[in-house]
Amino acid sequence: MPDYSLTPAAPLAGTDITIADTRLVAPADLAVVSVALPLGAENAAEAAIKAVYGVALPEVGKSRLAKDGARLVRLGSDFAFVIFTHPTPDAERVVAGRLKGAVYTTDQTDVWVALDLSGANARRALERICPIDLHPDAFGIGDSARTVMEHLGTLIIRTGDNTYRLMSGSSSAGSFRHAIETSLSNIA
Amino acid sequence: MSQINRISGGQIDRAQEVKFTFNGKWMRGHPGDTLASALLANGQRLVGRSFKYHRPRGIFTAGSEEPNALVELRKGAHQEPNTRATVTELFDGLHANSQNHRGSLEHDLMAVTDFLSPFLSAGFYYKTFMWPRAFWEKLYEPIIRKSAGLGRLSMQEDPDIYDKGYLHCDLLVIGAGPAGLMAALAAGRSGARVILADEDFTLGGRLNSETLEVGGMPGARWAKEALVELAAMGNVRLMARTTVYGAYDHGVYGALERCTDHLATSGGKPRQILWRVTSKRAVLAAGATERPIAFGNNDRPGVMLAGSVRSYANRYGVTPGQQVAVFTNNDDGWRTAADLVAKGVHVPAIIDVRDAPAVCDVPGARHIRNAGVVDTVGRKGLKSVTLTDGQMIPVDCLAVSGGWNPNVHLTCHQRGRPTWRDDISAFVPGRDLPPGMAVAGAANGAMTLAAALAEGRAVANAQIEALGFKPGKADLPRAEDEPRDCVPYWHVRESTKRGWLDLQNDVTVKDVKQSHREGFRSVEHLKRYTTLGMATDQGKTANIPALAIMAECTGKTIPETGTTIFRPPYTPVPIGALGGRSRGRDFRPYRLTPSHVWAKNNGATFVEVGNWLRAQWFARPGEKGWRDSVDREVLATRKSVGICDVTTLGKIDVQGRDAAAFLNKVYANGFAKLAVGRVRYGLMLREDGIAYDDGTTARMSENHFVMTTTTANAVLVFRRLEFARQCLWPDMDVHLISTTDGWAQFAVAGPNARNLLRKVVDAAHDISNEAFPFMACGEVTVCNGTPARLFRISFSGELAYEVAVPARYGNAMMDVLMQAGQEFDATPYGTEALGVMRIEKGHAAGNELNGQTTAHNLGMGRMVSQTKECIGNVLSQRPEMLREDAVKLVGFRPVDRDRGLIAGSHFITKGDAASMDNDQGWMSSVAYSPSLGHSVGLGFIKNGDTRMGEIVRAVSPVHGTEMEVEIVSAHFIDPAGERPRA
Amino acid sequence: MIINHPLLGPRDAAEFVYLGDAALIERPDWQARDAAEAFYEYGYLRDNPAGKHAELWYHEQGDRSWLVVTRDTTTHEITSVEMARDVARAKGRSK
Repeated sequence: MPDYSLTPAAPLAGTDITIADTRLVAPADLAVVSVALPLGAENAAEAAIKAVYGVALPEVGKSRLAKDGARLVRLGSDFAFVIFTHPTPDAERVVAGRLKGAVYTTDQTDVWVALDLSGANARRALERICPIDLHPDAFGIGDSARTVMEHLGTLIIRTGDNTYRLMSGSSSAGSFRHAIETSLSNIA
Repeated sequence: MSQINRISGGQIDRAQEVKFTFNGKWMRGHPGDTLASALLANGQRLVGRSFKYHRPRGIFTAGSEEPNALVELRKGAHQEPNTRATVTELFDGLHANSQNHRGSLEHDLMAVTDFLSPFLSAGFYYKTFMWPRAFWEKLYEPIIRKSAGLGRLSMQEDPDIYDKGYLHCDLLVIGAGPAGLMAALAAGRSGARVILADEDFTLGGRLNSETLEVGGMPGARWAKEALVELAAMGNVRLMARTTVYGAYDHGVYGALERCTDHLATSGGKPRQILWRVTSKRAVLAAGATERPIAFGNNDRPGVMLAGSVRSYANRYGVTPGQQVAVFTNNDDGWRTAADLVAKGVHVPAIIDVRDAPAVCDVPGARHIRNAGVVDTVGRKGLKSVTLTDGQMIPVDCLAVSGGWNPNVHLTCHQRGRPTWRDDISAFVPGRDLPPGMAVAGAANGAMTLAAALAEGRAVANAQIEALGFKPGKADLPRAEDEPRDCVPYWHVRESTKRGWLDLQNDVTVKDVKQSHREGFRSVEHLKRYTTLGMATDQGKTANIPALAIMAECTGKTIPETGTTIFRPPYTPVPIGALGGRSRGRDFRPYRLTPSHVWAKNNGATFVEVGNWLRAQWFARPGEKGWRDSVDREVLATRKSVGICDVTTLGKIDVQGRDAAAFLNKVYANGFAKLAVGRVRYGLMLREDGIAYDDGTTARMSENHFVMTTTTANAVLVFRRLEFARQCLWPDMDVHLISTTDGWAQFAVAGPNARNLLRKVVDAAHDISNEAFPFMACGEVTVCNGTPARLFRISFSGELAYEVAVPARYGNAMMDVLMQAGQEFDATPYGTEALGVMRIEKGHAAGNELNGQTTAHNLGMGRMVSQTKECIGNVLSQRPEMLREDAVKLVGFRPVDRDRGLIAGSHFITKGDAASMDNDQGWMSSVAYSPSLGHSVGLGFIKNGDTRMGEIVRAVSPVHGTEMEVEIVSAHFIDPAGERPRA
Repeated sequence: MIINHPLLGPRDAAEFVYLGDAALIERPDWQARDAAEAFYEYGYLRDNPAGKHAELWYHEQGDRSWLVVTRDTTTHEITSVEMARDVARAKGRSK
């Protein structure tokens, strides 16, 4: 039997551009696992998450960094994402293994692509595509929102003073990057 | 041409000169000029021709309300028609041309229409061109088309780019005149997030056009100082050149920012940005627009609004004429006279309709009381005016003031109606404002400077207090309440000549009276019959005087007569700006399949399927057309093995204790008892019993299912499932998440499918027919440990699998499958071959699930369970849907095997006439079957399942074809279904 | 339009998909004797009030929640926004 092996190729791998003093980078090896809280067993699920990650699942629209660097993003009343760095295609198993059946897990790593936008003009560029009010008073560090940018469903998380993580569907990764690049070049 | 009309002062930069052309003639102006002010400075009074009568026209106003001075700007692809010279910032190298004339501006051949005006009065187009009927297409329409329109398009693609954006604020202040500036100062100092937007390139509003003082300094200087303070506030955003053009629901405003229109080139940056402003509160401080008085030949170049004449003198250092008379019904007109005289311009007369003493002392000007202008002389430029008493006064400019109308437009964008105020003879905002909006200053009827400043502050403070801010201590600067007395006076009755109301659409006093005589009583009807206010300026200067005349005719008051409805946009918004980035390649996003790169490198032709780009076929050298490729792909798949990227099918992860019970409710057929490790075909119905979508659902574990949907319905099915989960059965433990993009999924189909997969699936997984039979599913690993899912399902009718790997491995997986398949001549196939094979196999797809067909029609009636609760089963049992003679899905083949079937053909029983009464059904899908060597089709025909072997006619009146076809089983290939189980 | 999502706060209507009358929550009992008639009414008959109207909106570009939005159809004024799941439970659909 011939020895076939598969080389991964993430859609935006290697993206690292700077326009308008603002840097756009595709983070490497980012894993995304969705966790759904079983109906009627939400408290147990939240307790399990807290026990494993050391932080409580945040409110809807917020995210929180766990001790191990994983980011917990609450997307709805009964579901959240765990976003962490993990190169191999078994992220779901890892999370499921740690949470031991307290939640339903689905691997979302390959469903999404992520781009990190950082720099003084990040917010100005996002103004052109993001319907969410990103003023620091309205969208604090750690806040997150799922919204639509240039027709693409997008998850935006404010990760720092002038840094945002943007996530969108992997099949439309090219259009997604193009939309952000255009915003940057339009304000440059 | 030299700047013969330049006078002292103004906010222009005299140190710099700007060169521009008008109708090819080079002229000079200064930074700070508009095209209009520069044209006036150069003595160019004639700037265009009117729409209907091709009358010579000049500049009428100094702002966005301009009806006359519409010009074509720039050259080549950048040419833009119908731009207002009065708001066009002058830049070096600007090219402008007048429009709407045949031949030169001075000698317009179309001017003959003016002499035909008796035949072209109100509503003429409803009355003429009616007969002879035969003249319409050959004569009337071409003439009308040639005459219609003002400017010319470049007929080239717009080379500029446009952008859109989203802004948010506590308080949006619309208009940066005295009220708006004061409002922004008050709100800004309190810490509220403020956006101050103004259409002008210099903020300050009328303060820049007046000599009035604010806080002991010239108003314009006070404005500049206020702007410096505002610009320094981090919580205030100043937006010049930004027109807030519409007030929408819930505090959302539309605004157009003109970013590069004042520059020679846009430099690759967006020319304009369309902003969607979400405000918690808004202050409308849009000011007021002066209105004219109608009198004979009041449209001549040189007849202008008095406040605009004052703007040109005070802001631009230009006098529109050397001998300027004023004709007014109010005190404000007098300030034009006073300001001009102060700058050394001769004002021979102030003609006041009132029998009242002089408002102020204007040296050198005769005060003519209780008088009006009845006529003017000077076809291409005013030479004199004739008064009611017959005296003629030689002038080259007449400054007319009929009073001022508050700019209430945005207050009415949500069906609000303005109310009339007798004391200022004008409409002011009514009580039913858009939620969150308050109005201040002249827009609210506070027509004097001190009142506007005070109201700006008070209204802003009230607005931000309601938001929880503590009003700041913005001191009110000292200012005066200038005299603003005004009497209602709309047109000079003594005048026998045509008096214009709507200059742009050529609507006169006579037209309004005529439409009344002809029975038009409602203002909305008046508007449409006469076209009053329907031009690009939307009648900003014309509507109120016309309403007043309408009221006179009907004997009603003006408020009883009412206004037409104000709708966005306030001023024109280019289509390019509304389109934003959504042009050409960027019209919508593209979704690419995981093997897109492989497909591109291997000759794929792509087809758009929704947003997806899918490989349609893979051409090989020597193939002459798509059919060659598709036939080869089908034959190779059926002979050995073919591979197709089917990632685009919707995939939904369904988990939960109640997942099985939930699926049992959303599918018409049973899912509760599906075993772990098995896949089942599922049919979804709409609640009305019509077939909705189909796909396969695999049970990966007790509480975990993976559902597939059709590509087209992936999003819609997900939405429906969430509806079922949240609204219909809210306490089922079931969770949904889309994984469509996460898994690269490939169909591996054909007799050698298993042999090929055995080389790829790791040996630990037994995929023999016994261990992994038809409709099995499971988690496996491929290529030494990469996690994968394997489903033994077949759309082609062959022995087939679908193998899924995490999307990042998709392109590599395609490559590996092709390498491993080399020994079997593995062939990649596209959507066309996929379609041919499913038709050969008799599988329904979008053409069959077309929103009209039921499970009964599809031959799947028995799948619809009546022993469980599920969507659509109750209404699917309606007698009409279960008729015995209902159409049934069957196969068709041409009697003459050389003929190609035509989709959309209707079936007629042999011997019957081809009529709708005899319609038996329709052909839904056809293909050339390379496996059978002839055309095959799927279609619906009455009682189809009982008519096997019958010959019917397939008629397509659209194609003008008809042929005999035989009703056969829809399963052209392997009717016993042995292949997928092999 | 802006919809004030109960969990997420004010969001632009562009993120939502409109369905219609919130009466669609009240799906009839399939086993009732008059089920055919009840489903006919459920499927085809809608009130179309000029004024307050409870309607279903789906936050597709958001948290995927179905909402019951009470909106005045003549003014677009929104007077309440509830999670449809809570409304469904309140209507006794927890079975």
